[in-house]
Amino acid sequence: MASEGDLGRKWDRCLADSAVKLGAGFGLGIVFSVIFFKRRTWPIAFGSGMGLGMAYSNCQHDFQSPYLLHGKFVKVS
Amino acid sequence: LNCSAFDSFRFMIKGGLAGAAVYVAYDQGLLGSGTEGAEALKKAQETLPPAIQEWTNYLGWEIPTPPKIDFSISNYWNKGVHKVMSALSVAPTRACEYTVEGWKYVKDLVK
Repeated sequence: MASEGDLGRKWDRCLADSAVKLGAGFGLGIVFSVIFFKRRTWPIAFGSGMGLGMAYSNCQHDFQSPYLLHGKFVKVS
Repeated sequence: LNCSAFDSFRFMIKGGLAGAAVYVAYDQGLLGSGTEGAEALKKAQETLPPAIQEWTNYLGWEIPTPPKIDFSISNYWNKGVHKVMSALSVAPTRACEYTVEGWKYVKDLVK
């Protein structure tokens, strides 16, 4: 029952999520830039920024709710 | 008339592609909560190297294997924090000792 271990796990989750969201935002920004905005740079920056913002919001929610347990739903057939 | 039909058709194709990209990102859990993002990263880490290996074998290219980096950030960070805190905790005592020694040295010099 180590709370500092739990904190470490939260940080790990936060960093992994930030990487994923940044990559997804970057990728979607590239897609939109190529398809709609004539290969300009700003959609890529916008997408990356949105990804980072979503990651920050998720991390904040994770750190500020200490009693939420992370589990998976298992369907019982 | 022909141009506008072609333009609207092209716009629908583009919209479809963009919508498909967003849907794939949503479906893979890339836009969800923190846990989903972490799981997606783990899944990608597991599936990516074998996929790259398969592709390079198929195409006949040779990529050198990346070097194994045995650097644990959390380990180094924790050790650093320990060192700094223990140094801070003994700092007043050490400062006293050094002052006493320095004072004795100066007194010996002056004698």
